[in-house]
Amino acid sequence: MTRFRHLTLAVAAMGSLMLSATLGFAQQFDGDQPGLVADDSFQLDPEYRKQVVLYRTSEPPGTIIIQTAERHLYLIQGNGRAIRYGIGVGRAGFQWQGILNITRKAEWPDWTPPPEMIARQPYLPRFMAGGPGNPLGARAMYLGTTVYRIHGTNQPDTIGTAISSGCFRLVNADVIDLYDRIPVGTRVIVRQKPKL
Amino acid sequence: MRTFRGGLLIGLAIATAIAVMAITYERYDTKTLKRTLRRDAVLCGVNAGVPGFSNSDEKGNWSGFDVDFCRAVAAAIFDDPAKVKFVPLESDERFKELQSRKVDILARNSTWSMSRETNYNLYFPAVAYYDGEGFMVRTSRKADSALDLGDTKICVQDSTTTKLNLADYFKANNLKYEEIKFGKLEDMLRAYDEAKCDVLTADVSHLYALRLRLTKPNESFILPDVISKEPLAPVVRQRDDDWMMIIKWTLYAMINAEELGVTSKNIDEAMKSKKPDVMRLVGTDGQYGEGLGLTKDWAARIVRHVGNYGEVYDRNIGSDSRLKIPRGLNQLWNAGGIMYAPPLR
Repeated sequence: MTRFRHLTLAVAAMGSLMLSATLGFAQQFDGDQPGLVADDSFQLDPEYRKQVVLYRTSEPPGTIIIQTAERHLYLIQGNGRAIRYGIGVGRAGFQWQGILNITRKAEWPDWTPPPEMIARQPYLPRFMAGGPGNPLGARAMYLGTTVYRIHGTNQPDTIGTAISSGCFRLVNADVIDLYDRIPVGTRVIVRQKPKL
Repeated sequence: MRTFRGGLLIGLAIATAIAVMAITYERYDTKTLKRTLRRDAVLCGVNAGVPGFSNSDEKGNWSGFDVDFCRAVAAAIFDDPAKVKFVPLESDERFKELQSRKVDILARNSTWSMSRETNYNLYFPAVAYYDGEGFMVRTSRKADSALDLGDTKICVQDSTTTKLNLADYFKANNLKYEEIKFGKLEDMLRAYDEAKCDVLTADVSHLYALRLRLTKPNESFILPDVISKEPLAPVVRQRDDDWMMIIKWTLYAMINAEELGVTSKNIDEAMKSKKPDVMRLVGTDGQYGEGLGLTKDWAARIVRHVGNYGEVYDRNIGSDSRLKIPRGLNQLWNAGGIMYAPPLR
């Protein structure tokens, strides 16, 4: 049964890959490329590779701090250090800040783009089953009751950019690593650059 | 009797002349800004070559983190970051040359310490870069912290404070290590590259530069731990408080600009901002520049021509440079680091 599901997925992925390739040439994409299978050999810029860094904060270990302007997500470790991951963030107009909790975690999540996203990007599918071609990638962590998530990606080359609709994306290897380190209930602090 | 009186008079005259000259020289030293304006250039002492901090190309164009600080001072004074004369100085002559007024600012990766201020009559206005001793290790070692470095062979330069700090740190944490000493930096680097030691220790800013010279830079990384205090700061002479204020607040303006989100790219927008703290920084409210003997828009000039602290950091030593030194301690106080400037108010 699972084997059959994978076959369907692969066919669907191939199909949408071809479709997205055509579309890709036809128009400037808003970001998401459903069907594209992530290139695992993609090398992140050193700045966006997962690493332990010095980070002083009064937030307790286990807290996630996202500094959108820097394109970094910090998982606080205590003792003045944090694990830092490179992320892709919301494009201009899709930037928000605040404190939320992780309310749900999912492996290879399905994707149902919210209506407002469909309205902006009508070519997006109404539903897409989880898998390698899914723009949410290998894992998703749901933020409060919002439409925002911390998730993987099928486009590792978008790490370091501001392209999403407000979600935070990590490469699949990193999102799996983060997923395994944090429980539901984890506090997530999102910080933006100050406004003038 | 007459000859005695004549001699006395001549002697007195000479003594008076010397006294007048000495007083003039001393008083004149409180006029660094005036002399700088007359000269139409800031005199800046720099290191002859430290990757990312201070370098000159074959055409004599200087660039780097320290260099940009002097350009920021020139921007504040002249609205022109090019009005700087850079004087490369060796480490043993730098403080003497500052005292003898060959330069008016030393922006030359100098560690601020008490004896340097008291013994040389110098003043370190504010910390520009928090450096400190760190460790480079091979990625294959899977170390996350300096505390994972027990029972390793560590390459270190002999007769340096680095070596002493290393010994103190390992002793304090009950860790054993084998010290491999080198007189020359080059020899130490080669030994590490040839895997004769597992770890190399030096100041973090050096480690990032040394890493680039390894055969396989990607197979080594620098641990986040910093085990000593090496606060690098610009230096000025004592006595000229007005000049010292300019140097100090130039740096603080750059740090505050970053905190407020004012950059060289959005400075025109910032000039129209109605946010009180942005207005004070760019000079659309208050008379802060006048207090320094400069113009209202002194800080806006700095940001426009040189950039805020983060921009200068990223361009020369951070994410947009070859070195890619993480911000670490030098990140703003509200974003994981300790870089903190008093308010411009």
